[in-house]
Amino acid sequence: MNRREFVKVAVVTTAAAGVPASALAGIAGRTYAPARIAKVSQLAVGVPVSFNYPDAQSPALLVKLGRSALGGVGPAGDIVAFSALCTHMGCPVQLQRDHFLCPCHYSKFDPALNGQAFQGLATQYLPQIRLRIDEATQEIVAEGVDGLVWGRIENA
Amino acid sequence: MSLYERRDSLPIPPKDARVQSTVCQYCTVGCGYTVYTWPEGKNGGLAPGENAFKVDLAKPQPALGGLPYTESMWSTVQRADGQWMNVAIVPAADSPINLLRDHSSRGGTNAQTTCSDARPTRDRLRYPLLRIGDALEPVTWDEALSVLAALLKGTWDKHGADQICAKATDHGGGGGGFENNYAIGKLFFTGLQMKNVAIHNRPAYNSEVWGSRDRGVHELHYTAEDARLCDTLVLWGANSYETASVFYTEHMLPNFKGSTEPEKKAAFAPGEPLEPARMIVVDPRKTSSVAIPAMIDPDRVLHLRPNLGTDCVLANAVARALWERGYADKAMVEQRTDAASFEEYKSKSLGLGVPLDRFLADAAKITGVSREQIEKAADWIAKPKSDRHRRRTLVLYEKGMIWNYRNYDTIASLVQMAVLGGNIGRAGTGCGRQGGHQEGYVRPPYPGSRPPVNVDKYLIEGHGKLYWVIGTNPYLTTPRAQQFRKRIHERTLALTHALAKSGEPGTTEGRTKAILAALAKGDGLFMVVSDLYLTDTARDAHLVLPAAGWGEMNLTSINCNSRLLRLYERFMDPPGEAKADWDILASVGRRLEEAYAKEGKPADAKRFAGFDWKSDEDVFLAGAGEFPDNAVDEAGAESLPCETYKGVTYALLRSLGQQGIQTPVRKDPATGKLVGTRRRYGLRFATADGKLKWHGADPWTGYPAEVDKYLKGGKEKEFPFWLTTGRNQTLWQTGYHDRHIAEKMLTVPMPYVEIHPDDAKALDVKSGDLVEVFNEEGNGTFQARVVDSPRPGMIFALQYHPRGTSNSLTSAYTDPKTTIPWYKGTRVAVRKLRGTLKVAATATALAGNEYP
Repeated sequence: MNRREFVKVAVVTTAAAGVPASALAGIAGRTYAPARIAKVSQLAVGVPVSFNYPDAQSPALLVKLGRSALGGVGPAGDIVAFSALCTHMGCPVQLQRDHFLCPCHYSKFDPALNGQAFQGLATQYLPQIRLRIDEATQEIVAEGVDGLVWGRIENA
Repeated sequence: MSLYERRDSLPIPPKDARVQSTVCQYCTVGCGYTVYTWPEGKNGGLAPGENAFKVDLAKPQPALGGLPYTESMWSTVQRADGQWMNVAIVPAADSPINLLRDHSSRGGTNAQTTCSDARPTRDRLRYPLLRIGDALEPVTWDEALSVLAALLKGTWDKHGADQICAKATDHGGGGGGFENNYAIGKLFFTGLQMKNVAIHNRPAYNSEVWGSRDRGVHELHYTAEDARLCDTLVLWGANSYETASVFYTEHMLPNFKGSTEPEKKAAFAPGEPLEPARMIVVDPRKTSSVAIPAMIDPDRVLHLRPNLGTDCVLANAVARALWERGYADKAMVEQRTDAASFEEYKSKSLGLGVPLDRFLADAAKITGVSREQIEKAADWIAKPKSDRHRRRTLVLYEKGMIWNYRNYDTIASLVQMAVLGGNIGRAGTGCGRQGGHQEGYVRPPYPGSRPPVNVDKYLIEGHGKLYWVIGTNPYLTTPRAQQFRKRIHERTLALTHALAKSGEPGTTEGRTKAILAALAKGDGLFMVVSDLYLTDTARDAHLVLPAAGWGEMNLTSINCNSRLLRLYERFMDPPGEAKADWDILASVGRRLEEAYAKEGKPADAKRFAGFDWKSDEDVFLAGAGEFPDNAVDEAGAESLPCETYKGVTYALLRSLGQQGIQTPVRKDPATGKLVGTRRRYGLRFATADGKLKWHGADPWTGYPAEVDKYLKGGKEKEFPFWLTTGRNQTLWQTGYHDRHIAEKMLTVPMPYVEIHPDDAKALDVKSGDLVEVFNEEGNGTFQARVVDSPRPGMIFALQYHPRGTSNSLTSAYTDPKTTIPWYKGTRVAVRKLRGTLKVAATATALAGNEYP
């Protein structure tokens, strides 16, 4: 059973229990094209790498934190990537020492904790980009997004 | 992986979706929102002509001004007829408050708070519950109201009005609005003639700002635009970035950054100097509200950090410095203020009989703020910009001042400091409350006296037979909450025990008679709780009434920053049998009217006349009868009650939408048209002769006995920390809704304390550790955040949280002039707990006040 089929089954099951289909329709149902971002060896702690994901207009940031992170990959489990669009009003966030800072309204996000919006006007955590390491090439590969990228009705 | 369930798409409202206007249910700012509802499965398309947003959804939205439609702005709800509906609640495009569709982390989750079987808000109360035997059991409204009316009447007839007590919301916004507030006042004050009523967040029926109102200055007199126009913005005991976020980001910061210069040029006198605002933040903590402007331009930020409880002394010291430097607005003082009381003010508050050096040296010693900083503040607040142009300073204060030691004198001193410098009634000036929640107050006069009864104390001492709690959760919010909880628990349990040795009478009459008989004898207390959820307080209630919430009834309120009256439209049905507070109160009123009429007591029945409202607008219009004649000119409007809305209808508010109308509303005698009020007190103050009445503050005589006990006899070592408390951006009040929103509880999983790194080192505490904080009043478990926000020797605690409250620790002190508690200052000890909790692990270790 692939992911889409699974979701369909889940919808039918829960709809029978009185939960509307749309409550589940947008949950992690999408398949994302994988994208190669950088080699593990190219990363330095605290120096972010910009890339676009999941669509060509969606800025994202890859960062090696130097401390273990939720969803982190690499030998130290400290490599994470996030959509760089603030979940509040869509400004590009910047890495500021140990956190992402939005320069527009000063929301702050914790990259080690799922992009948690721990200060400011944003409610949603930064969408975290699912990563894996290609063992053969030691490349970091983006292969999905958890959360809706700001300003989109659906992720590409 | 995600800590909470995420989505990667959202349903689109079709072009025929129902579109309604509302205002955020939460904070003082009152951001505008638009609500879209449409049936399940009938989604719109991406093209602008195919969706109700009228936006091209095929393209990414532009930052700052594009449509912010985020995961938390959508939900599904079930209509009373069973139809599932989509609900999207997005920031309004045309609000004068939340420009560019700005919104806070509170309002961004409005949709998530709607009651839905698909989400944790399914916890909402859906039917009345009556404690039968030892358990709360579902009963019909008819049964619940029959019991309640019989107990109210029985108690009133046998024991008198004083044995009926209440603590009730007086909010605007989500808590109620004019409709619910008027119904509460009409039943409690006109009908039941109760004086043992307390306002939702405090132990008595009082104003938190009598110190201002007695001067002739209602606290809501400035307008949001003044934050855009002022030369100096003072935030005194207000952490606006976190508690009035959009007012801060859309109105204060643009002025600080200089981007409101064209507006200043248009509003100011020709040739008047224009410059970006300076900011003075008076707060013992280094909050984000001071850290953000200090990152942008530290030279235009002044941070004063007074010792706890000394703000009254500080405000008078700044006023004295202002006076000595010749900045007083002599024309204002001579022409618009009362000359006799000014002498008392000069002597008692400004201390003109004491040499300046000694006065300021004493003030610096008490407050911990240096003379240099006091004088700098005086310069920034009132030093004229040129020989022809007075400085324009807007002073905004909130709980740091209101819930301070010596509430009355503190507020009076601040307002007088502003008036002395001429900072009221002109564009860019004022001295008012930032506000916490929105307002919507209209009631018959409170029948009690001043200072009012401390109802908490009254109940703790064993008085009162019936206690009705409406839209508030005193088990978390009242001062010295631990003692209050234990005593109310004891008293409610005493009644339960007296009734339920075995079975209870099975008839309504038998049951109410048994309850009244038990109440007549012992310590017992019958507690009623009306609320959205089964709150912490409701766990001890005998009767629980399910209330309708925001969006489930039409309501009207004003925000605090511009007194903007708008209609908050009903867009969904209340869950189950839940009813609006006004509807519940009116039903009780009608039953009492009928019962007294049946008994042949027409005079008593008459007290309950007029509860035959059919709609929320009927209540709104009935409430307008409480206001005086508003057919007055501009000068006459200066004395109108702040909320005056006589003449306004729902139809008018519907037509005005997000533009609303600013209260007080007057009927212009020349044109007969309704006119709003932009800014107040440019012509007169709200006193009989129009002149401001001065107040001379009492001298500083140290801390009150309730706190001073911790400062001597060895207790200063046993309880080595000062404790202050407050809110944060993530959680609204007690988290009654937020506890059902995963991302909120993950971000703030525990009540927390901020501890300075030096103290943390001595306590061997790291960020994330759990600690017990305690004193002789109470105890609590908190998560530690090691951060330089408090100074060494002081800790800060989040005030309320679903998993605990720091109000357990507050002292019993209240201001003898107002019965307002000092929530924000006492002494405590801290100890580290061994071990940890998995639930606490999602709290960040990063500092919320570090910028950049």
